[in-house]
Parts: sequence; C-alpha cells; structure tokens
Amino acid sequence: MTTVGVASGKGGAGKTSLAAALAAALAGAGGAPCVVADCDVDAANGAIALGAIVRERKAYFAGPGYRIDADACIRCGLCERACRFDAIRAAGTSARVIVPGLCERCGACVDVCPANAILTYQKQAGELFVSDTRLGIPLAHAELVPGEDTSGKMVRAVRERAVALASGDTVVVVDCPPGIGCPVIASLSGCDLVLVVVEAGASGIRDAERLLELIKSMDRKAVAVINKTGLDPLMDARARSMLAEAGIPSIGEIPFDVALRSMEEAGKTWLSATGSAGRSIAAVLSACIDALNIPPRPGSGTAEQRKENP
Amino acid sequence: MMVRERGNPPRRTILAIASGKGGTGKTTVAAHLAVTASRTMRTLLVDLDVEAPDAVGYFPGAVGTGDDEAVTVLVPSAVGDRCTGCGACAKACRFGAIVAIRDVVTIDARVCKGCGRCVALCPAGVLVEAPVPVGSVRSFSADGGLDIVEGRMHVGDIRATAVIEAAKRAASRLDAPIQIRDCPPGVTCPTVHAVEGADYVVLVAEPTAFSLHDLDAALSMVRDAGIPAGVIVNKQGFGTADIEGLCVKRGVPVIGRIAFLHTRARAGAAARLWTDDPELSAVLDGALSAALDASTMARPRTAS
Repeated sequence: MTTVGVASGKGGAGKTSLAAALAAALAGAGGAPCVVADCDVDAANGAIALGAIVRERKAYFAGPGYRIDADACIRCGLCERACRFDAIRAAGTSARVIVPGLCERCGACVDVCPANAILTYQKQAGELFVSDTRLGIPLAHAELVPGEDTSGKMVRAVRERAVALASGDTVVVVDCPPGIGCPVIASLSGCDLVLVVVEAGASGIRDAERLLELIKSMDRKAVAVINKTGLDPLMDARARSMLAEAGIPSIGEIPFDVALRSMEEAGKTWLSATGSAGRSIAAVLSACIDALNIPPRPGSGTAEQRKENP
Repeated sequence: MMVRERGNPPRRTILAIASGKGGTGKTTVAAHLAVTASRTMRTLLVDLDVEAPDAVGYFPGAVGTGDDEAVTVLVPSAVGDRCTGCGACAKACRFGAIVAIRDVVTIDARVCKGCGRCVALCPAGVLVEAPVPVGSVRSFSADGGLDIVEGRMHVGDIRATAVIEAAKRAASRLDAPIQIRDCPPGVTCPTVHAVEGADYVVLVAEPTAFSLHDLDAALSMVRDAGIPAGVIVNKQGFGTADIEGLCVKRGVPVIGRIAFLHTRARAGAAARLWTDDPELSAVLDGALSAALDASTMARPRTAS
C-alpha cells in the first residue's frame, strides 16, 4: 500500500479537485488499484467530486458531552472554578450552564460537583461512509454533525476504513483538510508522499510555507504544484522561490482558469480539463504518479474521458 | 439564546466572518469590512484563523504594537519519586495524553489540553504543572485607525482553540465598538470557538458545488450556536451552484453579492485591498449595515 496526501495549508487551493483527478488518473492508468480517503471531514466534498453512491454507512460517536441539570444544581460554583476553558457560566445566582462551543469535554467539572448535577450524554457526532464512485474507485468519507468537535478522531476513523479497503498494491489518496492543526496531522501521518498545492497568492504561499514546516517536522516526502498561476507574475515567482528555498521539488504549475470551477458541477474531474490548464494538470498528475514510483500503463488519462464522454 | 453575561460588554458589536469551505473569500471580506467600518468608528480586526493567519497580509503598512503575547497551556509532569504509578491520571485524561504502563507514567506534552483534571485526581499529589507555549497573540496598528489582533498557533501544535481563546481575550481588552473576526474554515472546534460570543455571523460563499455543500453545514453550526447570520455571495458568475436558493430554503438573508472579476482575482492573489472599486464599496457598505442592524436587534436587552 502506498499513501499520498494532498494538502495545502490554505483552503480553496484546489486540494479536493486535484485529489479526485489524481485518483481518476490512477484508475485510468489501469495500474494499481486506488482508494480515496476524504479526510476533510469538516467540508467533505470528495463525494461531490467523485460522484459517490453510498454503499455502507455507520454511525460515529465521539466521547461523552456534559450538561448541567438545572434542577439538581445547587449553585455552588465549584464547576465554574474547576473549568479551565471558561465554558461554565452563571447568570447571577441561577444554575450554571455549560457553553457547548467552549467545552473541551475534559470532565473536570464532573469530579468536583457535590450534587452530581453534571450529566453525561452521548450524541451521534456524525456518520462514516464507504461509497462507490463514478470512477469505480471506492471512497471512504464522513459527514460530521456541524459544531461537533472531534474531527481529528474522525479523520483517523476515515483513514482506518480506507486502509481496510486497500490491498497490498493499492494507492490510498488522502484529501487533507486545510490548516496545519490536529486533523491535518492525523491526515498526514502515514503518508508516503504529500502533494502540496500552493496557491499562487500571498496568503496561499504563506500558508504553504507553514505546512511545509509541519511536513518537515513529520519527516514526510513532499512534492509541490503551484495552482492558479498567471494572476500576478510576482506571486508566481514568489511561490517558485519559496519552494526552491524549502527544497521541495515543483512538479508543475496550473494556470488560473475559470472553466475549472464548474467541472465538478458537470460531473467531471480536472483530468477531463482541456486547453492549457488541462495539459498542465495531465503533466502534474503524471509527475505525481512518477514520484509515487508506480508505473503508468498505456492509455493513461483516457479511461475517465471515455467514462465521462461516452 | 447563549448566555453572555460575561466578557461581552454592551455596545460592542462582534461580527464573525466564516464560510465552511476554505478559499471562498473570508479573509478578503473580513479585511474589506474592517476597512469599511474603520471609516466611521474605531474598528478591531481579529484574525482567529490561527493555523493560517493571513489578515495582516492585506495591510502592508501595519506596524506591531507592543510585545507578542505568548499563549501557553499548563501541562503537568510528575516530579519527585512519590508517583506510585497508580494510573489514576491516565484514566482521568480524555485527550489520550497520559499513558500508564505498569508503574511508569508518560505524559505527552504535545497532546495535553491543560484541563488540570489529572492534577486534581492524583492521589499522591505529585503532578506539577508548567506552562508550555502553543502560539502567540500579536497586535498591529494599520492606517486609518484600524487595529488588528492576530492569533498564531505554533507549527506542529494542535491546540488551536487555546490560541483562539487567547486572541479573543486580547481583543476584548481593546476598547473598539466593533470587532470583525476572521474565522478558520470548517465547522468544528476551531470555528465554533471563533464564532462563539459573536453577535452576528457573515458567511462567505461562492457559487460552486463544494461551497454550497459546506455553506449548508456552516448554516447549521451557526443556527445551533443561536447566532443570527447572513450570507455574502462572493465570486458571482464563477460557478453555477445555487447559493441563493439554499439561503431562501434556510431562511437566511443574502446581505451582499460580489461579482467575479479578473481584476478582483488578481488583487486577491496579491492580497491587495480593492480600492477604487466603487461598486464593491457599495456592496460592503450595504452588507455592513445589514449585519450591524441585525446584531443590534438580536442583542438581548438584559445584557449588561
């Protein structure tokens, strides 16, 4: 099994679209079998990009949450003092209330409550799915109940399901969340290669730099693609020199093209893109597959086009 | 309705700019709304996207004011030889930061959230806490009376929420009648912390299938948080997804529409403010007044 993560730091850089196109290229090559793990569980768009039909679903429960029984609360305020996260509040002398958005679910309040007024509840935090996709590639993905706070754990659950679908020569494509925090670390751990998508803009370059620092600290191999070039030549140059300084090989550049935005709505991946952007994408995907050391087979890149344009 | 008796003085309006999907234009909209607001009142732009803080980048003239404030969490370690290896601390920890194997207790300082539960429950009383840095809060002053507070998590850390809360506290110490928060993407812990305490959430969407899906999740998040929201449709003409239809279905107003123009995309790449764009100024003025009106109406009378 080989695992490749697609990450960017900044959101909207093109991670999901490139991950889907990479999976399509791998499948089209008729080479190694492929599984996609959509680990961006906060904004799970892999199912849209790949045209998923759910085959298996499973409820996902996070750890327990807490709430205060207002009738049992004796208003002593011990819980409020025990909470390090300022998540327990009181309106004057009334019962204490846990602000769900601030509660880290540590349970420190439960230990100190003399009235046993703090109740534990289990709430379904989301659902885990395995889907069939229009490319014939299985997709492991999830939908989190908005506001639930367990995306790192859920990422690990999605990864495990993807691995369960994989065999010895499978390539697992991991679509990572934006940022550099807990869910990103959970997505990147175990990746043999990271495809870093650098958006050719001031914010995209800065965020990619922070991501590269993280990847370096995790000792992962990385290659980079610069996306949305041609808007500002200065930014294109800055992205190139940032990668050169970081010692990360650039495997290509994809020019900004409005036509790419609506491909997902049309039920296609970027592998079917035409024109200059399409040629760049094909080159980037083939370079990425080379970096994975998986030999492309003849007919690479045409299988999906046959499926999408019969 | 959320309890807001503390830390949220009256006559201060907090607008949170969020989106669900990344890259729809949160930071761009937050920076422009802050500039718009700063023309008439003292305004504070608060960058709570602590994993990828980019708001200051829109203000090349911004200068740092004061020292960086280190954000720390209290992480325990067992000191002395009185630890009996009972494992009560490992059982108490909800974050998987403590492992007790036989008599040996190992604490992973990188995973600890600093809740203090293990310290309180250690029967031998041998756990001693020390601050561990997880990020920083910096303050800046930009042209035209705009102040900026930026939270920045250290690379490799996972405690984004500690940095977000520290930045929110730093912002609340500054006396500005309006705060504009640039929130992280997503709909889970960091975003929930970033919108908590806000009077109104502005969700920035773009007409793509991805954004439509993620906006739906973001609308549920703000509904559950009990905060009123409005949507700015950014990059109109960029795709074909029906953002306005979703807004109608969810009963949420569209408070601004920004057409996609190559000139705007170019300025966005360079993190340049869209000055000399009268059409946009009108949109932002309208969106800001809609947000301020809605937050005034939503504010509970009893808050004091």
